[in-house]
Amino acid sequence: MPDQLLQQLVDGLLIGLMYSLVAIGLTLIWGVMNIVNFAHGEFLMLGMFTSFWLFTLYGIDPIFSIPICFVGMFIMGTLIYRFIVSKVMKGPMLAQLVVTFGVSIFISNLAVFFWTPDFRLLPATMLQGTWQVGGITLSVPKVAASVGSIIASVCVLIFMTRTITGKAILATEMDRDAALLMGINTERINSLSFGIGTALVGVAGAFLSTYYYIYPQVGGLFGTIAFCVVALGGFGSIEGAFIAGILVGLAQTLGGFFFDPSYKYAIVFSIYLITIWIRPKGLLGW
Amino acid sequence: MASRSFVRVLSAALSLLLILVCSVAAQTPPKVIKIGAVYPLTGNIASTGLDCKRGVDLAVDIINGKYDLDLPLAKTAGLPNLGGAKIEIVYADTKGDPRNGMSEAERLITSEKVVAMIGAYQSAVTKTASQITERLKIPYVCSDSSSPTLTDRGYKYFYRVSPHDDIFARDQFQFLKDLEKKTGQKVQTVAVLYENTEFGSQAGKAYKRFAAEFGYKVVADITYSANATDVTSEVSKLIVSKPDVLMHASYITDAILFTKTFKEKGFQPKGILTMAGYIEPGYLDAIKADGNYVIVRSTFALDLGKNKPLVTKVNTLFKKKYGIDMSENAARSFMAPFVVADAINRAKSTDPEAMVKALNETNITGNQVLYPWQGIKFDPQSHQNIYARGTLVQVLNQEYITVWPFDAASKPVVWPFPEWKGRK
Amino acid sequence: MRNFTVRQVIAGVATLLLLIAFPLVISQSVHIHVMILVFMFGMLGVAWNIMGGYAGMFSFGQAAFFGIGAYTSSYLSVAHGVNPWIGLVAGGCAAALVAAAIGYPCSSLRGHYFAIASIAFAEIVRIVFNNWQTVGAAEGLTLSMQNESFANFLFNSSKLPYYYIMLAFLLLSLAVCYFVATSKMGYYFRAIKESHKIAEVMGVNVVLYRLMAIMISAFLSAMAGTFYAQYVLYIDPGSVMVLATSVQIVLISMLGGAGSIMGPVIGAAILIPASEYTRITLGYKGTGVDMLIYGLLITLISMYYPDGVWKLLSKIGGKTRRSVNS
Repeated sequence: MPDQLLQQLVDGLLIGLMYSLVAIGLTLIWGVMNIVNFAHGEFLMLGMFTSFWLFTLYGIDPIFSIPICFVGMFIMGTLIYRFIVSKVMKGPMLAQLVVTFGVSIFISNLAVFFWTPDFRLLPATMLQGTWQVGGITLSVPKVAASVGSIIASVCVLIFMTRTITGKAILATEMDRDAALLMGINTERINSLSFGIGTALVGVAGAFLSTYYYIYPQVGGLFGTIAFCVVALGGFGSIEGAFIAGILVGLAQTLGGFFFDPSYKYAIVFSIYLITIWIRPKGLLGW
Repeated sequence: MASRSFVRVLSAALSLLLILVCSVAAQTPPKVIKIGAVYPLTGNIASTGLDCKRGVDLAVDIINGKYDLDLPLAKTAGLPNLGGAKIEIVYADTKGDPRNGMSEAERLITSEKVVAMIGAYQSAVTKTASQITERLKIPYVCSDSSSPTLTDRGYKYFYRVSPHDDIFARDQFQFLKDLEKKTGQKVQTVAVLYENTEFGSQAGKAYKRFAAEFGYKVVADITYSANATDVTSEVSKLIVSKPDVLMHASYITDAILFTKTFKEKGFQPKGILTMAGYIEPGYLDAIKADGNYVIVRSTFALDLGKNKPLVTKVNTLFKKKYGIDMSENAARSFMAPFVVADAINRAKSTDPEAMVKALNETNITGNQVLYPWQGIKFDPQSHQNIYARGTLVQVLNQEYITVWPFDAASKPVVWPFPEWKGRK
Repeated sequence: MRNFTVRQVIAGVATLLLLIAFPLVISQSVHIHVMILVFMFGMLGVAWNIMGGYAGMFSFGQAAFFGIGAYTSSYLSVAHGVNPWIGLVAGGCAAALVAAAIGYPCSSLRGHYFAIASIAFAEIVRIVFNNWQTVGAAEGLTLSMQNESFANFLFNSSKLPYYYIMLAFLLLSLAVCYFVATSKMGYYFRAIKESHKIAEVMGVNVVLYRLMAIMISAFLSAMAGTFYAQYVLYIDPGSVMVLATSVQIVLISMLGGAGSIMGPVIGAAILIPASEYTRITLGYKGTGVDMLIYGLLITLISMYYPDGVWKLLSKIGGKTRRSVNS
């Protein structure tokens, strides 16, 4: 089924790029602060709800809510860092893990409390429908999300390598103590990174809301895959997360189609395990 | 000082008052009959659990109050044979976990002293909850879980009012045969798609069994996880297998995701016959017009009101109380309290053995139920309601319209499944 | 062997007597059920601690071993009539074997990479069991309610036997943990946790000792799994092999105090009643308030007692036990 192969590759690429977008923020936080942000999925959910409410209440199309999501989630991320996460930075790794976990439970149930557990879908927005390109069906919202993912990754990379702040973040990622010695305010860097990481996943949520259903527990599924993607790519590596996201999307789709859909995720996780046995630090990790 | 004797008099007076109050309270008949209800009220499937609760709460209103409705115990306030005793439902949240089903059912029985149990929507949870009620010898009347295995266990205390998935699956094949007879539209191949928990895999088995029995070829047999991030591979597989008809057993999350993906990929079978998830109110709320033309198994639809005014009357009450129309889930859960209250009333007691005897003798006539059944009567072995039947509804203009059995249909079925492109 | 202070002995014996007397005094089954869960999760936490708190391998996949234990004994019992107590041992061995099989290739993984690998492994196990027809696939296994007896590991008329058996299991796991912690093995574990390289230089066979930690941990977790199966009488992959259970085990150990013997037990004693009682009192409303409280509790404890509550209690009790650095 050669024609199906191409379709499956495209499908895998589209879902994979969404995974990449979700994972970039996570790997940034992870790399800089060595924190597994368990609340990452919940921030994705908040991004989705922000986009939903902006559309439902104010008629703002998701495309335009993206900058609002970015700013809003950036502020939220910074606040959560300042008031909660920073308190456990000096503690054991487990405490950091658990704090974000507690935050994730709190946020998802706060969403249940305010918005009920009902499922919501965005109705026809600007990004709808499908394109037919040479026998391949492309979902427009997924293509838009993929483009967004590429742009976001490129922007983050440029930011990290070409701006002073970005380089400071990179330096902190590589060697925290050296960065301190160089006069970098690592506390400010932490806060900034947490904010940017959260903002990025908020944007992912805005894109995702154009084609996936929105409800308070939606963060769980994407969160688990995001962790896998980040670890596969190597903690802290933006390029790694990007590539790993695509790989996971392809594995899931090709494995599901050519092998057995019920083992879809088992295939993804197996690929992770095999890769990690060969390269213990992930594909591009240091 | 007079204070000490004052205190003495005061305390004596208070004790007397206390004794008076207690004796009055003891004399006033307790007259509240507690029934336990286990449902997933929080967690992934909370919207369904809360929907079921709406049905149960309305049923209790009707039983406890005086309503001119043709439902058991509606016309009287409370249970007449027990001096007007009222029903009270004590809810417990299972969070969809069988372990909680067990512990909450036990707690309701031993701490809250409920005399009967209803619930739990998810068959896996009903399994463990009813194991406890069987162990503790408390009657359990289920009207919303559809796994056939629940009534295969030969339990003495477990009863099921509603149809199970074998009945529903069989219905869908019968429909195909009836359709062929009526319109000449032939179907030869079937694709079977089901989510991978207890409900889905049982339904999938039933589909495959009946496909063989009715002579249809199964060209795709696909199972998946209800909480998936993406189902493009599953749908792609369906498309290449080119089935005439898709049969899909799903919950609501996958129903939404699959419908979106069907549209995206242009999956065009002649018909889509489904279970469960597609008839949840949240499904159409989310998917809106894209849900049109899907056919779902049901026990209840608002258009039954044309032949059965009871349905419309009950829905009016439902809408007044909740602001929305009654859904199929709420309608199914609605019935259990009536069956329990009717049995207690006839038994004139809440003693479990008396209740079981009364339940075994249950004979509620067809005009007293919301569904197009002959009534409610339990098989002596399995305790399955022998009159439980399903119907098929089709989503037309974002409403559930009964289309089968053909003599009960309010509109003819739209077949084949219209093209995605042509629709608005 | 370490010596206990008189204070510790008295406190330990007193607590034990209280626990033994508890179900005889409190008759409401819901409280006994909560205590049974506390013991069970306490045992799972202790098992986790052996490989996590002591040997530094933070596993987020313990539910896989728990589930393998439950499934092994249940399948043997349902399909082949094997006595559950034998099934208990078989389950433990099966889990230990699987642990070795997955632990070996993961020997060089550390920290977060190991954690994610454990999640991946546990999910694969769950998906496999969900599709494996022989053990019931998604429908799971239902155990018989007939013939209750100690020999059959089945009690219908009362929860008390389950309570005491689980308490005994917990004490067993604590004893194992104590032995591990105070023996040379425990010393090697802690060295491995600090640094693989240093441990190797010291002559420790890192791979072997990592495997031992994982296998012991798996065996104990599987025992808890068999108990669960005999208690609830119905298992399916969605209830015994889920990520949520694994995460809860980590939470309990961490909040109680990883790297100390009693830490996970304290953690269980706090978190399990917290989640059970908030669900019981608030869950039925459907507003999620119970989980809000739970999430808040977890967040606050980890913010203000990052080393775990056990350390706090030790300080209050004036004990001078040196707890292992986590």
